[in-house]
Amino acid sequence: METTLLAQSLLLALTTAGLYAAIASGLTLEFGVTGIINFAHGEFVMLGAFLTYFLYEAAGVPPLAGMLLAGLAMTALSWLVFDGFLSRVLKQDEHNQILATIGLSILLINLAMIAWTPDARVMHAPPLLPALHLGDVIVPGNNLVVLLVGIALYAGMIWFMRHTRQGLLLRLAADDPQLAVLAGVDVTRMFRLSFLIGGLTAGVSGGLVALILYVQPLVGVDLVMRAFAIVALGGLGSIGGALIGAVLLSAAENLTATFVPGGGSWGYGVAFVIIVLVLVVRPTGLFGSERRA
Amino acid sequence: MKTGLTRLLPYILILLVTLALVWIDKPFWIQLAIGVAITAITALAWDILSRTGQVSLGSAAFFGVGSYTLAIFEPLIGLTLAWIAVVVVCALAATLLGLLTLRLRRMYFAIATLGFALSMQVLVVVFPDWTGGSGGIAPPVLADGDPRWQLALIGLLLLAAVALSDALLGLRFRPAFFMIRTKPELAAASGVPVVRMKIFAFIVSGVLIGLAGACYGGLYGYVVPTDVFTTNWSVLPLAIATLGGMDTTVGPLLGAIALKALEEVARSVIGGTGYQVVYGAVIILFVIGMPQGIVGLLRKAGTLAGRRTAAGEKKKERERHA
Amino acid sequence: MPDTASPDITRPDPTRPDPARRSAQPSGGAILAVEDLTVAFGGLKALDGVSLSIAAGEITGLIGPNGSGKSTLVNTVSGQLPVRGGRIRLHGGDVTGRRPDRIVRAGMARTYQIPRVPPTLTVEEVLSVPLLYAGRDRHRLPGLGDAAAIAAFCGLGPLFRRHCGDLSVTDLRRLEIARALACAPDLLLLDEAMAGLSHEDSVEVMGLIRNVHEQGISIVIIEHLMRVITTLCHRVVVLNNGRLLAEGAPATVLADQAVREAYLGKGFAS
Repeated sequence: METTLLAQSLLLALTTAGLYAAIASGLTLEFGVTGIINFAHGEFVMLGAFLTYFLYEAAGVPPLAGMLLAGLAMTALSWLVFDGFLSRVLKQDEHNQILATIGLSILLINLAMIAWTPDARVMHAPPLLPALHLGDVIVPGNNLVVLLVGIALYAGMIWFMRHTRQGLLLRLAADDPQLAVLAGVDVTRMFRLSFLIGGLTAGVSGGLVALILYVQPLVGVDLVMRAFAIVALGGLGSIGGALIGAVLLSAAENLTATFVPGGGSWGYGVAFVIIVLVLVVRPTGLFGSERRA
Repeated sequence: MKTGLTRLLPYILILLVTLALVWIDKPFWIQLAIGVAITAITALAWDILSRTGQVSLGSAAFFGVGSYTLAIFEPLIGLTLAWIAVVVVCALAATLLGLLTLRLRRMYFAIATLGFALSMQVLVVVFPDWTGGSGGIAPPVLADGDPRWQLALIGLLLLAAVALSDALLGLRFRPAFFMIRTKPELAAASGVPVVRMKIFAFIVSGVLIGLAGACYGGLYGYVVPTDVFTTNWSVLPLAIATLGGMDTTVGPLLGAIALKALEEVARSVIGGTGYQVVYGAVIILFVIGMPQGIVGLLRKAGTLAGRRTAAGEKKKERERHA
Repeated sequence: MPDTASPDITRPDPTRPDPARRSAQPSGGAILAVEDLTVAFGGLKALDGVSLSIAAGEITGLIGPNGSGKSTLVNTVSGQLPVRGGRIRLHGGDVTGRRPDRIVRAGMARTYQIPRVPPTLTVEEVLSVPLLYAGRDRHRLPGLGDAAAIAAFCGLGPLFRRHCGDLSVTDLRRLEIARALACAPDLLLLDEAMAGLSHEDSVEVMGLIRNVHEQGISIVIIEHLMRVITTLCHRVVVLNNGRLLAEGAPATVLADQAVREAYLGKGFAS
């Protein structure tokens, strides 16, 4: 009984970890390259979720295709946002940088509330995969999809960073912007690219959210808070750390909800205890290295 | 040169407006003024902290702790001591958070303080025996529920916040604070006890926000955690100080008036849901258009006017820009 | 080494182990004594058992190739880096591991090679910080008791109310010396005060350093320019690879074959 519960809890944690990793790796890439924490990252996820939801409910677009479209739409929106105003705050003081993306976040949340009301909606899509039975443990089909797509997004990003020229330039711009400039790299282009990739992964992740969670204007806030904790665990700017952070956070959350009396109401409180503890013990994240803050 | 009168102007205006509103006794205007005053206090407190380079997203922690401390301690030790407890508890929380985040720079600091604020909310929910959990808690009602007296008390707190902000912009603190912000090593090499000064700023800031939170809780005598620990109370002070103009006393005051006025307009046009869209829009427009805030804009206008006057005047104008 | 250093600053430290080095000291005695100092970053020893003493009343040059540990030494004795082993004594009193602001209080001030001052502060405001916080007797240095006098002494009189953001590189260097001077120190550590300055400007700053010395302040200069070392310094200390390579009068030390090889490279030395 106890072990079944534990196994069930950890397996579900693993599937959410896929989603968390996809969201957090976009956030951490944007930070690593530009030095800006995108507080509106969760709102791109939220918009992606709404898009996938409406494409399915209103137009019958299959969720997997909807996700892809949502990803493309969020890439386009990221482009607009970056060239429209984020590029202008790159040289400003940090409080203006923080404020810029927080402003964007508030704007998008409230526009969504005006357009779609604050009520939560659930997408009534049939499971895309059959449920997985491992003895007494059951993993619902859509959770499997989330795990697979999340891992695919994450792996795709790692591949891009390691094996393409653009990825190499991104890493250079992240590690040493001054050297990148000296090497003739168009740093602004790299900054934009990091936001485009962030937008793409956020949009697709939104589709995953619609698949296993709910769709609501504030859903992005919950998720981005968790992404902060993951990024704190894995190290700001470290994509590799994001996966470890996602697994750890997701396990901690599920175990708390399962085994601590009343632990279900802790919500992202678990995430925050982690953030504060980790940053206190190791300011660069548990698995992060010393880099610019 | 800042003359004695311009220095005193904010105090005189706050006094006059408060007295006038208490005299006229129009509920709408009194509520609006109370809202402006409370947000202005939090923004001034945020600004004081930011002068030492600590850009916080944790104001909500102190706002909530202030109102909860008053509510928890009042039945135990009486009203007067409960207010003292608010000061003590907020000072302790500020010292703790200040020490924990001492080594964190820039974005790490922002995230850690945000995490602290949200952890506080979780603590409240996890220990319902003391805090009433998510159902909320009842702090003592401020001034027996008479809005005029409530405004008068909160106006006094605002005056105190303005005086503190001005004092910390004086020669004793301003250069040391700014030096800590720009290069802490240089401040230390000038004899400044950097850690003590940063914690000191944190305590002043945290206690002010906590007192504002306690007043807020006392307006209706009832608060729920999502009311005072909401991220809004962390973002609003930062937004107001930046919009008004950082490193000044007037900036947060102007910012609070502007944003609250705008909020009222938006609320009547858009309605209760989504009216905060104006916050987002205004923040983005300001960050793009006038990153130095309202005060920066006024100064620019002042400099333009100053160019037309004698060279000596221009020099004085520049001095004022410090 | 037993902890028996004499607090009497007029006498050389009697516990110093190396008689040859002691004999090289003038009558002023040691104002700063570093004993077996070791500083490490991770596994890398930036300073490896360095022992040296700075004589009171002198201008001492601290030289060595890049990475030899000069900056580490200055950062460590001024309290900004943790000490792995050894002792630092100022006026004979142990200041090892003290906070930087406490060391300023004890009478040692330092400058930064690249001082980043808040651009919105005026010269006056920057100087007010050490005057208010260093906790030293302001009138220890006659005629340098307030910000205006210190600014004028350092050639910043006309710029007194200017914002630091508007100052030239040379004026920022002057301001950095003025800021350290406002700490009313007994010992001043100058970290490459001349780097990047034109010949004329560096001559001026050298004059300023001489004037500071005439106020009775002992000085340590880190410097790459040999011209500065030979004209200003009474004594030179050479570091190489985190160890003491040589010390003595400038002419003797600079003529030393080992120093020339370490400092200038073998090609130059021959």
